[in-house]
Amino acid sequence: MVKDVITGAISLLKGMGVTIKAFFSPVVTVQYPKETINITPRFRGHTKLVADDENPDRTRCIVCGMCERNCPSNSIQVIGEKKEGEKKKTLTKYILNFTTCSQCGLCVESCPTDALAFSADYNPAAFNKDAFYYDLLAEFEKRKNR
Amino acid sequence: MCSLDNIIQAVGKEVIRLILGLIGVIVVVVVNALVLTWVERKVSGHMQRRIGPKEVGPYGLIQPFADGLKLLAKELLTPANVDKPLYYLAPVIVFIPVLVSFIVIPFDGFLQVKDINVGILVILAFSSLSVLSILTAGWGSNNKYSLIGATRSVAQNIAYEIPLLLSLLPVIFMANSLSLRDIVEAQRQGWFVWRWQFFAFLIYFISATAETNRTPFDLPEAESELVAGFHTEYSGMRFALFFLAEYTNIFIASAIATTFFLGGYLGPILPGIVWFFIKTYFLVFVIMWFRWTFPRVRFDQLLNFSWKILIPVAFANLIVTGGMLKL
Amino acid sequence: MVKEIVEKIKESISSVEPQETPYELRGYHLFIEATKSNIVDIASFFKSSGFYLVDMCCVDYIDYLEIVYLFNNHSKVCRVKVALKLEPDKPSAPTISHIYNIAHWYEREIHEFFGILFDGHPFMTYLFLHDQIDFYPLRKKQIPVPEEDKRLLNSFNPEEQEDGFFLNLGPQHPSTHGVLRVVVKMNGEYILEAIPVLGYLHRMHEKMAENRTYQQFYPNAARMDYLGALNFNLGYVTTVEKLCGIEVPERAQYIRTITCELNRISSHLLWLGAFLADLGGLTPFLYTFDDREQILDILEAITGSRLTYSYFRFGGLFNDVDDGFEDGVKKFVNRLRSRFSMYERLVTGNVIFINRVKDIGVMDHTYPIRYGCSGPVIRSLGIPFDIRKHEPYAVYDRIDFKVAQGTNGDNMDRYLVRIQEMEISLDIIEKALKDMPSGPVKAEKLPKKLKPPKGDIYHTIESPRGELGVYIVSDESDIPYRMRWRVPSYSNLMTFPELARGTLIADAIATLGSYDLVIPEIDR
Repeated sequence: MVKDVITGAISLLKGMGVTIKAFFSPVVTVQYPKETINITPRFRGHTKLVADDENPDRTRCIVCGMCERNCPSNSIQVIGEKKEGEKKKTLTKYILNFTTCSQCGLCVESCPTDALAFSADYNPAAFNKDAFYYDLLAEFEKRKNR
Repeated sequence: MCSLDNIIQAVGKEVIRLILGLIGVIVVVVVNALVLTWVERKVSGHMQRRIGPKEVGPYGLIQPFADGLKLLAKELLTPANVDKPLYYLAPVIVFIPVLVSFIVIPFDGFLQVKDINVGILVILAFSSLSVLSILTAGWGSNNKYSLIGATRSVAQNIAYEIPLLLSLLPVIFMANSLSLRDIVEAQRQGWFVWRWQFFAFLIYFISATAETNRTPFDLPEAESELVAGFHTEYSGMRFALFFLAEYTNIFIASAIATTFFLGGYLGPILPGIVWFFIKTYFLVFVIMWFRWTFPRVRFDQLLNFSWKILIPVAFANLIVTGGMLKL
Repeated sequence: MVKEIVEKIKESISSVEPQETPYELRGYHLFIEATKSNIVDIASFFKSSGFYLVDMCCVDYIDYLEIVYLFNNHSKVCRVKVALKLEPDKPSAPTISHIYNIAHWYEREIHEFFGILFDGHPFMTYLFLHDQIDFYPLRKKQIPVPEEDKRLLNSFNPEEQEDGFFLNLGPQHPSTHGVLRVVVKMNGEYILEAIPVLGYLHRMHEKMAENRTYQQFYPNAARMDYLGALNFNLGYVTTVEKLCGIEVPERAQYIRTITCELNRISSHLLWLGAFLADLGGLTPFLYTFDDREQILDILEAITGSRLTYSYFRFGGLFNDVDDGFEDGVKKFVNRLRSRFSMYERLVTGNVIFINRVKDIGVMDHTYPIRYGCSGPVIRSLGIPFDIRKHEPYAVYDRIDFKVAQGTNGDNMDRYLVRIQEMEISLDIIEKALKDMPSGPVKAEKLPKKLKPPKGDIYHTIESPRGELGVYIVSDESDIPYRMRWRVPSYSNLMTFPELARGTLIADAIATLGSYDLVIPEIDR
């Protein structure tokens, strides 16, 4: 009985030793937003359109609609038109409804021309829901002009 | 002529001293509560390898003021089915034992509001009132969780009052007096914790942790089981009063421990009051250290611990001390 | 084992004709057609032979309904499928809840999703749904719920019917069980009865599976159990691969094993923190999250997600691991090994913790068969039932590892089994990393639209919580006809009402924490 009490008391002191050691150790947290951490290159932010190698002014998208059909959440709308004199359709709007996107990567995988890639946007924030209906083509144009 | 001397003569030295003392006590209580909230959050943070508050002021020092302001500004919600007199009374009663106990604690040689010659008896008697306030809060809230928390707390407090008293008695025997000033003065030859009362110190400290409802004995506020125990239904300033009372209780328990076992305000070089605060805050730190290390004790194990381990050891200590003093 | 069972069952019940099925293709060894008159006898036969009820689900074949019972044995693998055909109009079947306790909940679930009445079932109320739903959800055609059935389903109202002190534990908890509500009838501090109420997180993944192609179901699997998401991914992917006969390259199998073990460790670490937060010690929660952070960083670097991974694909992986993977994993293994002694000092040896946890929530040896418990819950009783050893998948048959076991079946043993499992997982990771070959990570020539052959398959893997089973019925189209997920927390939680009777509420909460429940996977 006395032995139990003594071993019990020693176990409590050992536990206290662990916390006091942690008390004097450096913190392991990152003081976000004053410090930021590096985002890995494969991070699955929302998708973005990739520029064509030969013609950096255009995206690689050929408006086939594979991504739209494969998306499990029906979050993608691809709108294109056939301009005169060109063989393939050109993209006019690419709407991604990010509120229902589950970042599964099926659109990226199924694109036959590798026109989609994940972006590194890890902290999107807005005040209303409409801001998350991304138009990926408009963002591509903005990135081009920068 | 209303000069200062006339006023003092008219009213009486004692009364002036009492009024000044009470003002000082209220200041100490409030400042202490603010400081302790900050200290708790910082200590818990660093023990968990994170920084506590840091945004509000340098090192988060203004955080307690921000918290206090928020609690003051909150709407005082009264749930519909509460027992109104009891519900309103509970946060008020919880402060009475706290304020009374401060009157007899000797901060320094003469910094004591009133040296009542049965000082410790006053403190012990009034600290039992804190149980009443918890029970009033639990019953008056008309809420199952509060009721369970309150009943647990009553059983816990009653069980741990006895070892508390029994561990203080040997020191009273050795100092030959119930007055707190005399007990500190009797430690001039050596603190009681080294003079054979180490076990009494441990028993007192554990009982004090249980009396103030701190982990590992915080069943009345067991978060994962009962939402928030007896103060579930309280919000805003009423909750702040419970909170303040808890921190002040911790301070008082540590202050009595320093007075009885660690020599009170005695110490070389630095003025007495500084030593008193160093010793008291060290014990407060140890109480916080307990909270962030240990899980909760189960209710029947808590009662078993008190009745089957603490009380026999306290009794044995008392008998041995009494025997040694007689011989 | 299979031959023995065939002989014995032909002896005891003359009207059955068991057929042997190819295990590699179907996932079960025997198939028995039952009728309403002999299903109860068959169930009693299996109970007396030491088989447990793995799963009980229903498939709507429009012309008829088929209830599928799956049985298995803890000591020797012998999976049996028993099928009971019912007429689609006002179907009813005899209950087996007096034989197997777990059938109590399975039958409630089948009743509210398909409308099958079970004669003799004591408590046919809603399990997941609520009374605003007017059609039986999982039927292929819209069949409305008749009024008397709605009244029967809605008849759970303990506070109005009985006299007693009822307390609700949940559905919001300060610790991460998930959204579980337990209605507890108390007498002072003692629990007289505990009834779990589910359905707060029901998202109907099984119906979603019937409206999506096989590829489009990837994200759903991870969201069912978000703490062991890679294991659920693996379960789904290996089931479909077995059904279609797709071969997975070696390197992909090794990477699958390593990432699943990493996921197991991260799930157990989170459980450790949450268990202690339940008991009142809030500090170890932060320490385990610190350890878990490294795993999440490694997995983020290869998959791109931190919690709900959809990394595996049919025939391999989404992409290969990156360069920092091996070093990261080795550093992590070394670091975690050095942290175990800290946990030993802070938690395992702590006398307050031991008193809260030892000899509490003791399961006896009849529980595994009556309820079908699996995972650390059954291993803590001393029964070495681990799917990774009994029916190996991925590369577990090539790696030598121990199976963690306990002795008593109390909370302390469940805790120790999980700690040991973490250490064993570290060993598995090290060995797999050493043996990992180079090569492709995707199978070649997969069809764009995957159309599995006609038939059904049942495949199990060992998730951090126990035996996860996926039952897919395919009708040669690219959309599954029926997908059923057998989740381990379901059968583990069912033991709670019996264990909690007569205990203190603090003990009941400690027991609930020691099961490692994730309610989203129960509610699917």
